[in-house]
Amino acid sequence: MVARDHLSNDEFFTQLGNLFEYNRKKGHGTVYLTQKRLAFETEGQAPSSDKVADDPLWDTHPEKPLPILIRANNNKSTPRAGTDREKIDKIALSTIVQPDQLDAFFVRYAEACKAGMSGLKKRDRRGKKDKKKKKKGATETKG
Amino acid sequence: MPYLETSAEWYEQSSLLLKARPTTTHVTSKYTVLKPNARKIKKHQKYLEKRAARPADPSRPQPSEPTLDNVEEPKATFVLKTYDPDSGTCLQYQTTKAAEVGRLIGSLGRLGRHMAALPEAMEDLSVPADGMGVSTPKVEEDVKVGGAPAEQKAGGGGKKKKKGKK
Repeated sequence: MVARDHLSNDEFFTQLGNLFEYNRKKGHGTVYLTQKRLAFETEGQAPSSDKVADDPLWDTHPEKPLPILIRANNNKSTPRAGTDREKIDKIALSTIVQPDQLDAFFVRYAEACKAGMSGLKKRDRRGKKDKKKKKKGATETKG
Repeated sequence: MPYLETSAEWYEQSSLLLKARPTTTHVTSKYTVLKPNARKIKKHQKYLEKRAARPADPSRPQPSEPTLDNVEEPKATFVLKTYDPDSGTCLQYQTTKAAEVGRLIGSLGRLGRHMAALPEAMEDLSVPADGMGVSTPKVEEDVKVGGAPAEQKAGGGGKKKKKGKK
């Protein structure tokens, strides 16, 4: 993977919006979202080796809250004969969320995902009505 | 790997896994939109032709039509996966409903708190900040978290009862 800098949270959300928009325009495709604890690259927070030896479960109770790494990416696409597939490079984004901003981040994250995942089934109230009508119709024809 | 039945169960199991292995466990959510493949469309058309050619069999009940009409629409799914490479544990939940997304991201947020090693007690403070979409399931999730692990076997059936209790 190509090394890249983490985006700021704001930048991440605009890019994530673009990623979803891109997926929508294409009509098909996948968006991956990953989250994990950022236990490395944080200076001063990495446990010393004797600490690990002392307590194998050190990571279940760190002294300080740790930041979280959020990643988003799509799949790259290669052209293939007989299909309308185009060459598309993989788009990958990442950001680090500090523990104190976690709640605010996930509120925005939920909004972004709700807006972006437009392909999923909406709550269909009309369908229910149709079914009811059909049932009625069926009983009428029978009787 | 098997999919869990309900999102509540997925959250419950994932939070237990995260508590046990907070550093190695990660959560991947995959939103995917698939075009129907050409073969499926062809098959469906053949089926329709066949059905049209052989009309009205009075002895059999009429199959409902609209269920098959969406074959040519793209199919979207949202899959949540909690995976711990150390132990090889993998928990998955899949949905196709847009209505669930808000709640599921809410669960991701609460799992994020485990990852960040923030105390769960802080959840109450986060309620006003979380706002609308997340607040409704929060009640039931809180009960779940508080409940003993034995309770989780009750599964989806117990969910509504618990909500009523609170």
